[in-house]
Amino acid sequence: MKNKPVKCKDVFNYICDKLDADLNSPKCRSIKKHIDDCPNCITYLDSLKKTILLYKVYPKVKAPKGSIKEIFAKLEIES
Amino acid sequence: MKYNTPTHPEPDAKLLRSAKKGNHQAFAELVRNYEDLVYSFAFKVCRNKDKASETLQDTFVNVYRKLDQFDHRSKFTTWLYSIVTNNCLMKNRRTKLDEASISIDSVPLPHESDNHHRDEVIPEWRSTPLDKVMNSELKDLLDNAIQKLPSDYRIVFILRDVEGRSAEETAKILKLTVPAVKSRLRRARVFLREQLNQYMTS
Ligand SMILES: [Zn+2]
Repeated sequence: MKNKPVKCKDVFNYICDKLDADLNSPKCRSIKKHIDDCPNCITYLDSLKKTILLYKVYPKVKAPKGSIKEIFAKLEIES
Repeated sequence: MKYNTPTHPEPDAKLLRSAKKGNHQAFAELVRNYEDLVYSFAFKVCRNKDKASETLQDTFVNVYRKLDQFDHRSKFTTWLYSIVTNNCLMKNRRTKLDEASISIDSVPLPHESDNHHRDEVIPEWRSTPLDKVMNSELKDLLDNAIQKLPSDYRIVFILRDVEGRSAEETAKILKLTVPAVKSRLRRARVFLREQLNQYMTS
């Protein structure tokens, strides 16, 4: 990616594997440079991150109480 | 508000050995330690309490019966995820939930052209803390959007982005290659983002 100019497509393909990649590493400098000058890339990446966060926030659930009894009953063993 | 992914430690080697030998108390402890992981994963995949409960029970019935085959070559949690994943997929096939889901390949990835349209400005998403924007309308939207994804894409998204498993582990759980995991994840993220876009920009 050294000689070719970075395009939005490159940003997306690179970042998407690791949304929180450290963009200050030398390898990412050209990508960071593109993002800094490209409001659409900034907005798009932000919306992808928010999509993931929403699904991390909701739902939060726990196993119903007494599940273990039902499992033991299915297995026909005594607890 | 914490967005951190919960970590699930591996079971104690001694506990696992006793459970393998058929010790019911050890098995019960294994269930207690991992029932939330299994139930919550199943619920995130099927979005239904009854189905998640059934999946939880079936998964531990399988664990009990197959535990002596667990050979420690993979992590216990990886093995457990592969069992619950199979149960989720089987249940989905049975109820044909996937009939409602779209063909994901018809959803174009962004930037399939080299750069964004020059005159297109991507609208910004709301910046309020995300736990504050959460209401029943958004919850419905999140449920509906993820259920439109074919279940194999949905499961990749949940394992990678929600449960925080690595691409390598996800590949192992689903018996896929790492590039296949990455490509599904990319499409799943883009698809979900499109589904939420209107709501999050209005
Ligand atoms: Zn760009």
